[in-house]
Amino acid sequence: MIQVKNLSKIYKQGELEVKAVNNISMKVYDGEFTAVVGPSGSGKTTLLNCMGGLDSCTSGGVIVDGESISSYSSNQIIKFRLNNIGFVFQSYNLIPVLSAKENIEMVMLMLGYKEEERTKRSIELLEKVEMLDMSDRRPNQMSGGQQQRVAVARALASKPKFILADEPTANLDSKSTANLIDIMSRLNREENITFIFSTHDQRVIDRARRVVTLVDGKIINDRNE
Amino acid sequence: MNLLTIIKIGWRNVWRNRSRSTVVVLSVIMGLSGGLLILSLMFALNDQRMDNAINTYLANIQVHDSRFAEEYSLDRFIDDHESIDEMLSKDKRVKAYSKRVIINGMLSNSTGSHGVNVLGVNPDTDINVSNVNSKIIEGNYFKSTKNNTMLIGEKLADKLNLRLRSKVVITFQDLNGDITSLLFRVEGIFKSGNSIFDNNNIIVNQKSLYYNIPDLKGFHEIAIITIEDGLTDSLKKDLQVLNSNYKVESWDEIAVELAYANKMMSSFLYIFMLIVLFGLSFGIINTMLMSIFERKKELGMLMSIGMTRYYIFLMICSETIFLSLIAIPFGVLISYITINYFGIEGIDLSVVQSGLENFGVGSVIYLKLPSEYYFNISVMVILISFLSSIFPAIRALKINPVEATK
Repeated sequence: MIQVKNLSKIYKQGELEVKAVNNISMKVYDGEFTAVVGPSGSGKTTLLNCMGGLDSCTSGGVIVDGESISSYSSNQIIKFRLNNIGFVFQSYNLIPVLSAKENIEMVMLMLGYKEEERTKRSIELLEKVEMLDMSDRRPNQMSGGQQQRVAVARALASKPKFILADEPTANLDSKSTANLIDIMSRLNREENITFIFSTHDQRVIDRARRVVTLVDGKIINDRNE
Repeated sequence: MNLLTIIKIGWRNVWRNRSRSTVVVLSVIMGLSGGLLILSLMFALNDQRMDNAINTYLANIQVHDSRFAEEYSLDRFIDDHESIDEMLSKDKRVKAYSKRVIINGMLSNSTGSHGVNVLGVNPDTDINVSNVNSKIIEGNYFKSTKNNTMLIGEKLADKLNLRLRSKVVITFQDLNGDITSLLFRVEGIFKSGNSIFDNNNIIVNQKSLYYNIPDLKGFHEIAIITIEDGLTDSLKKDLQVLNSNYKVESWDEIAVELAYANKMMSSFLYIFMLIVLFGLSFGIINTMLMSIFERKKELGMLMSIGMTRYYIFLMICSETIFLSLIAIPFGVLISYITINYFGIEGIDLSVVQSGLENFGVGSVIYLKLPSEYYFNISVMVILISFLSSIFPAIRALKINPVEATK
């Protein structure tokens, strides 16, 4: 379970202080499929960054399975991210010089998986995201939707506790968006993988089982199916 | 994560922007081969200067009476030179040796006069110790049947306006302390490539000296050429044991400035190359910085998903080292071929001939560079590449993953 407790993040813009996230508290349970929605500047990305330990919070904190990650040192948080969180970025961010399979395997290499295990799991993951036939292709030989599916497989490679996806469909066409959300939804349903993603896209919001709406850094609505 | 993966990513990153990597590789190739060529030229200049000195007048070892070395007095002959003869003629370390008579005197004619060393040599043996016979530009090397012929350097001949068969008077203090003058004729003019030697020495057949100076019965100098340079020290020690009155010196003890220059050369060459590579490192730093700024997103992603700073640092370093590892074989090969070609054909630097002669070398330089320089300088290039990657790698580590992955 991920618990966000009285989380605030204040950015300084010259003399001005901008409260990107304003005293938010929420809990995300294992196996949830949660969308964080809201207009631009509402604090969605900042909330996700703080939950993923990419950004520090000004006050409050994030507790994962009873352990506060907000007090971790930079090395501890890097290790925590590697072992516990899968990231999916808006612009895919695959390594251009590695193939789809190698991009997935890289995370396992960081974790010290043996070659046999790496190969087995990368094939398994590529199959799950319906990309097995493109395992040897490099990112520039794939469409945006295909790249994002590989990115989802990469996020799953470390068997994380949860996956954070920041606007994963923002750069995709409607067909690719539908395809990606189908895959994410299936993984959540069938394998109980926890997804937390930010989005603007109504079609994606409609598929979420929980929708947390942010405005001006505050939760104004938390709808759970 | 293992090192091999980092190296694999680094290698592939090198080829992401082929044109940029090619430019860096070419600049390293040019810097390395240019630097090695200059080094070989400097090394060859020094080596030829040393060889020239040894082969023209120094030889590997010289033996004198210890008092002759101090006083330069005519009566300080080498004691019991027959025992040296006996030893040297049997010693397998000895390639050749020659016994010389040396007189300090004044050379004069109607044009003027000049202080000189008169080297009285036995042409039959000295030809194996000194290469002056091959440096004759006019006349002959003691072919005349007449007595009192001499060889003179071109520079001194020009100064005294001497031609072949010109008469000249050598004046010196004889064994009794009386001033003696001898008339000689120029039989040959030489140009050794060392203007200082040419300007201060004349060579005469020692038979002429013995004939003209009846009291002169002995030798002042024995010049020895060894089979290998490395045998000099052991032979020197053995010669010294023969008689404590001998002053046995190797070439580097006689020509201290030459030996010092030789010792200095190695450090100087490395310092020079370090300067060249230092300049080159700025090009590498610049290219790597550009590459990192281009890959900000990717590096941000790697940091986000949990790649440690250590691996990011290694990845950037490996890319830079790869660039130099690609360039080094080409740079070394180009310079090796060029150095070997000009090592045989020589580079004609006659435009700066007089300067080179003052330095003690001829106008044609034969490039030369010992193999250890290729290796050591290649290692230096790798080291400089690694050092050049540190700054870009530090910049990469400062990337904020949140900003970078947006």
